[in-house]
Amino acid sequence: MGARAMQGERAGDATAEDRAALPIELRAVSKSCAGIKVGNTVSFDMRPGEVHALMGENGAGKSTLIKIMAGLHQPDEGQILINGEPVRFSSPRDAHAAGIATVHQELLLFPELTVAENIYLGQTPKTPLGAIDWPAMRRGARALLQSLDSGDLDIDQKVTTLSVGNRQRIEIARALAQDARVLIMDEPTAALAEHDVQRLMSIVRTLCQRGVAIVYVSHRMPEIFALADRVTVLRDGQHVATRPVCDVDEPTLVSMMVGRSIDRLYPAKQGQDGETVLELRNVSQRSVVRDISFSLRRGEILGLAGLVGSGRTETALTIFGITPATAGDILINGRPVKIGSPEAARDLGIAYVPEDRGHQGLIRAQSIAENIALANLKRLTRGVIVDMTRVMAEAKQAIARFGIRARGPDQLVRQLSGGNQQKVVLGKWLATNPRILIMDEPTRGIDVGAKAEIHLLMRKLAGEGMAILMISSELPEVLGMSDRVLVMNGGRIVGEFDKVEASAEAVGTVMTRSYSKDDAA
Amino acid sequence: MTASRLLRHETILGVLTVIALIVLASLSDKFFTAENLLNQGRLMSEVGLVALAMTFVIVTGGIDLSVGSILGLTAILLGVFWKNLGLPLPAAMVLALACGTFAGWVNGLIITRFRVPPLIATLATLALYRGLAEGISEARSVRGYPEWFFFFGQGEVLGVPFQLWVLGLATIVAAVILGLTPFGRATYAIGANETAARFSGIRVDAVKLWIYTGAGFCSALAAVIFVSRVTTTRSDMGTGLELDVITGVVLGGTSIFGGRGTIIGTVLGLILIQALKNGLALSGVKGDGTIVVIGLVLIGAILAGALFDRNRGG
Repeated sequence: MGARAMQGERAGDATAEDRAALPIELRAVSKSCAGIKVGNTVSFDMRPGEVHALMGENGAGKSTLIKIMAGLHQPDEGQILINGEPVRFSSPRDAHAAGIATVHQELLLFPELTVAENIYLGQTPKTPLGAIDWPAMRRGARALLQSLDSGDLDIDQKVTTLSVGNRQRIEIARALAQDARVLIMDEPTAALAEHDVQRLMSIVRTLCQRGVAIVYVSHRMPEIFALADRVTVLRDGQHVATRPVCDVDEPTLVSMMVGRSIDRLYPAKQGQDGETVLELRNVSQRSVVRDISFSLRRGEILGLAGLVGSGRTETALTIFGITPATAGDILINGRPVKIGSPEAARDLGIAYVPEDRGHQGLIRAQSIAENIALANLKRLTRGVIVDMTRVMAEAKQAIARFGIRARGPDQLVRQLSGGNQQKVVLGKWLATNPRILIMDEPTRGIDVGAKAEIHLLMRKLAGEGMAILMISSELPEVLGMSDRVLVMNGGRIVGEFDKVEASAEAVGTVMTRSYSKDDAA
Repeated sequence: MTASRLLRHETILGVLTVIALIVLASLSDKFFTAENLLNQGRLMSEVGLVALAMTFVIVTGGIDLSVGSILGLTAILLGVFWKNLGLPLPAAMVLALACGTFAGWVNGLIITRFRVPPLIATLATLALYRGLAEGISEARSVRGYPEWFFFFGQGEVLGVPFQLWVLGLATIVAAVILGLTPFGRATYAIGANETAARFSGIRVDAVKLWIYTGAGFCSALAAVIFVSRVTTTRSDMGTGLELDVITGVVLGGTSIFGGRGTIIGTVLGLILIQALKNGLALSGVKGDGTIVVIGLVLIGAILAGALFDRNRGG
């Protein structure tokens, strides 16, 4: 941790000499995006070998700041300095040349090319004759991966076959191949499994020791405290503060981000559970959902826990009619029903907020109003014509009800932050007046403030009599929100806990236990 | 709901069309006469009818290459039903229309049920339907239709060609369906994000099936008008029609990736192409030159649209 000690000495007032050594510095930068001022006179700097966490709710201006550093946006005001020299990035290429690389949230790799080709794409080593120097490229790729403790990756493998964690390591290797001095990591752990997170954190530490400065964007507090040296918090496009991590604690950070203190993360239950609205009896879907039986009551939040691939989402898709059940019975209000398609499910009062917002939940290229109308077209139609006045009225109502931060119902959904996008999906489905709401990863990729709002909303809906089935990979969320927890493993329900019994250890054990074929039978 | 955003391309196209009309009118005094313009309307009706349906197809992110072959097949069947099977001509017309519509439905079935990409599916049926047309006709043409039948392709109502009335009515119906109905909203949703549309309870496969069936029906309708206009039936009718149709639709601002496009745009695109073809011919430009100009206009219009989009930050 030599690098950390050096920073300690430098933590005081920066002298001119120090400034000259800063790999990147932003002075009073601001930028207006689609009419909204996003980055508002933000100052930000990076010291060699430090991890600088960038935090803020979605829409706070983190993405804009990152894009300015990566050369994707040009600031309207302010200056960018590299090693103390003012520069102007007119394209990402300029930023690359200045030693700034980005590992994006959506990994930008070429699935049909090999690991080595991906690492060296755009900077391929050439032979004197101008052909690709394959031996040099493969040697380089191997050495780079070795230095990231990822020597186990086969450099000749196509990227399409690799896991998300491995792909991310390749992106990091690619940044190193460009001699990056500043590496921007945009929510690097959002899509990673726990052991990949640990591995990523050790890679980040290795990079720091080599003097690479890392901009680390994440909502996950434990990572911030484990990795970061300094933290900068943005709110509503404003620079709130930059502090050494040792000077702050979690509640301080949260209140800096949301501008108020959040005392209770999980709201308390309101009202009593009512009659059973949904019941599954021995439902199966091919071999992914096996012999599932449970019931869901009015006003109840039923948590469905399990590892990725344990059959939770598949169960939801079966109830929602995307992959209809191949065996067993589904009963709604005690009556057996056949759900063969999503429209049948919707007409039975079932709503599904899917796990993949951008792909399954929303049409990003369309407006808020268009998205909200999509599941309600039949109801919003007068004669044969869609009643645009009512579509707009409903969209405005949803914006007000869920506190969606947008210019208006006409704004395109892709311009909204993750939390606001999720509220649009919720708005769309609640407009169908469902009795059963299935929420798959309701707060994935959403910041603390919006997360609390969604939790509060779920509780309120349950209090009004909605039956909610919640799937979540975050154990604290499952334990905090659910009145009852079902645990899935290998397509089956392997455990049921009520609120009192459900502890992290108990649920976690059942979730991860491996069942042999005999046990399962 | 987002009229300003959607109509941006149409505005450029409208201006372009007006400019083209003024320039062409100044090049030849025969161009801007009622007689010539109505006659041009007559000539573009067949492509126009198919282009209306093609707009829906392309807005869903699909393509239908088989429309020309369906037109050819329908034309042949009309002749065969009437002449060889001896059916009354009205019955033969209805039956031929039904067959063309069925051909479109088959396209839709292959695409929705067996998940074959539209490009491949309709490339196959392009060959299949044309092959059927040639096999059934045995390279013989059918002539000698009764006089009343020519009304559909050559007749006039209130001084306007009959098929222009049909095209006008079809345009209004198509514009209302695409722009204002739940079916239209579903069409855009499917093109923009098919998975999200499915997850929102849109009957994606049913909508697509209707659209490809509609394309079959429009092609069949165009076939009847075509036969009536040229008075004979030949198996090579409609060859290459799909390219004229797609050119018109794309020039009209419909995104080939789906999710965007309007009927107004398609109509403007068709008018611009037809005006250029006719006006340039009248002012003495050779056929090859006309094609070059149409190609350049297509590229120019798309570039202008893209440039305008970028400036708006859209």
